[in-house]
Amino acid sequence: MLRNVFTKSLWDQRRSLMWWSIGIAALAILTTLFYPAISEAGDLGKALEDSEALANLFSGGFTDLNSPEGFLNSQLYSLTVPIVFLIFAISAGSGAIAGEEERGTLDLLMSSPVTRSEVLVHKFAAMTVAISVLGAVLWAGVALGAAIVDMDLSLWRSGQVVVSGLLLGIVFGACALALGSATGRRGTSIAFASAVAVGTYFLNALAPLVDALDPLTKLSPFHYYISADPLVNGLDPLHVLVLVTLSLALLGIALFTLERRDLAV
Amino acid sequence: MNAVIRTENLTKFYGDQMAITDVNLEVREGEVFGYLGPNGAGKTTTIRVLFDFIRPTSGSATVFGLDAREHSREIRRQVDYLPGDMVIYDRMTGREVLTYLSNLREGVDWRYVEELAERFECDLSQRVRSLSRGNRQKIGLIQAFMHRSRLIIMDEPSSGLDPLKQQEFYNLVGEVKADGRTVFISSHNLPEVERVCDRIGIIRRGELVNVEDVGELKNRALHKLEIHFSGPVPPEAFSNLPGLRDVTVEDGRVRCTVMGKPDALIKAAARYEVVKLVSEEPSLEEIFLSYYSRDDSDAP
Repeated sequence: MLRNVFTKSLWDQRRSLMWWSIGIAALAILTTLFYPAISEAGDLGKALEDSEALANLFSGGFTDLNSPEGFLNSQLYSLTVPIVFLIFAISAGSGAIAGEEERGTLDLLMSSPVTRSEVLVHKFAAMTVAISVLGAVLWAGVALGAAIVDMDLSLWRSGQVVVSGLLLGIVFGACALALGSATGRRGTSIAFASAVAVGTYFLNALAPLVDALDPLTKLSPFHYYISADPLVNGLDPLHVLVLVTLSLALLGIALFTLERRDLAV
Repeated sequence: MNAVIRTENLTKFYGDQMAITDVNLEVREGEVFGYLGPNGAGKTTTIRVLFDFIRPTSGSATVFGLDAREHSREIRRQVDYLPGDMVIYDRMTGREVLTYLSNLREGVDWRYVEELAERFECDLSQRVRSLSRGNRQKIGLIQAFMHRSRLIIMDEPSSGLDPLKQQEFYNLVGEVKADGRTVFISSHNLPEVERVCDRIGIIRRGELVNVEDVGELKNRALHKLEIHFSGPVPPEAFSNLPGLRDVTVEDGRVRCTVMGKPDALIKAAARYEVVKLVSEEPSLEEIFLSYYSRDDSDAP
């Protein structure tokens, strides 16, 4: 497992990845187990329908809690899953370069015959694989919960919304990676990436309330994550393309800035 | 002789803070070169340019004739490094760290790694986090020696080592030199460079003030002389003599520091009955200080 920077980065995360997996599995299963109780209770979604703002903020505008898709969208995919994926990705992205630099281990690593770009690409790949593991756990957890409560859910579509969530997580992981690569400061990277995440989340949730602002949602990565409702309609290729392009552009910024600056002692 | 490291007018500013300026350094193949200066003089900055961790403000650096910036990877393939502040992945064991670092290059002879670990009495199965500073330094030394690279650059290598391990380190440097390989050691520890180095470069406040053979340096430098006479001597006879410094005369005893030739002193002393002549071999410490005392304000 210590073959190269990529495998070593995964190896470093083995314990944290295990705990994250346990947490996400529990979250997915428990949430799904509540479905029968909620759907039998009838019009719980009514409260959300009364306030578009609340619905947009806390359930992604999904107010139909009686269908499996509406329930999962509002309870899991609109807010909880992005929060979980983003925390993991931002922490991994900021730690990749800036974390090693601040701890002082980057000198030793960079004295080996590896280029800065190689290290970056390996670390980006490790982050992508690690978050994909969490995505797989989430999908399996929902599938297991759905089987237990006999929920009528397409596992294929369920997988697609998870992939959409992964792509969103990777965008913000790449954002944190780029900030960390440019500044060498882990704290700065976490703070700014999180601020961008919160800002664009609110943008996507609240801009639709004012007609004039509605087009601004297109500036938010969250729009490309969920607005096409991948759990019902499957992935929107255009939206996938936007998220992937954004990630690669941020990776490009990371490569560009890291190559051009002095590494801190 | 080939220059393994060469810098030309190497200058580095951090913002408007000067770290090194116009450093012209040449390290020859097969020698042990000591880069001597107090903390903050610019030693680490010079080394970090060689590894392309930082980019010079002006001037250039080459290693094996390759530009440090353009061919960094090729250079790093053939150079080993011991960072001054030995920070390693603290959640890994020593063996894991060495495995990782060796995998990033080709071919490490693990028997040699085991041998090095034995010589430094270093337990590789412990997690780095639980190791003392000295033991971390040992892992740093092992990784610097284990690839048997053509050039080993070490920043304050013996810091934190006990005297026995220091000796082992000096032995290893001797073995590398016997192999015809080159060692570059930065240090603020004079007895250390005196012991292992062939030539030293003295750096002070970012400027390379002198490079010479360790032997020559000692020859050329100041000598302390003490002359005992049979009776009291007049202080005036010894004041204002050329090439003398710090002259004290008391009770028929003259003490002074001689710079260059002691001729004037000997001729002045010859007028009286000399009982005893004591010459003190200068330590490098004193030689070193003499370079610094030229500039007075904040000399160490």
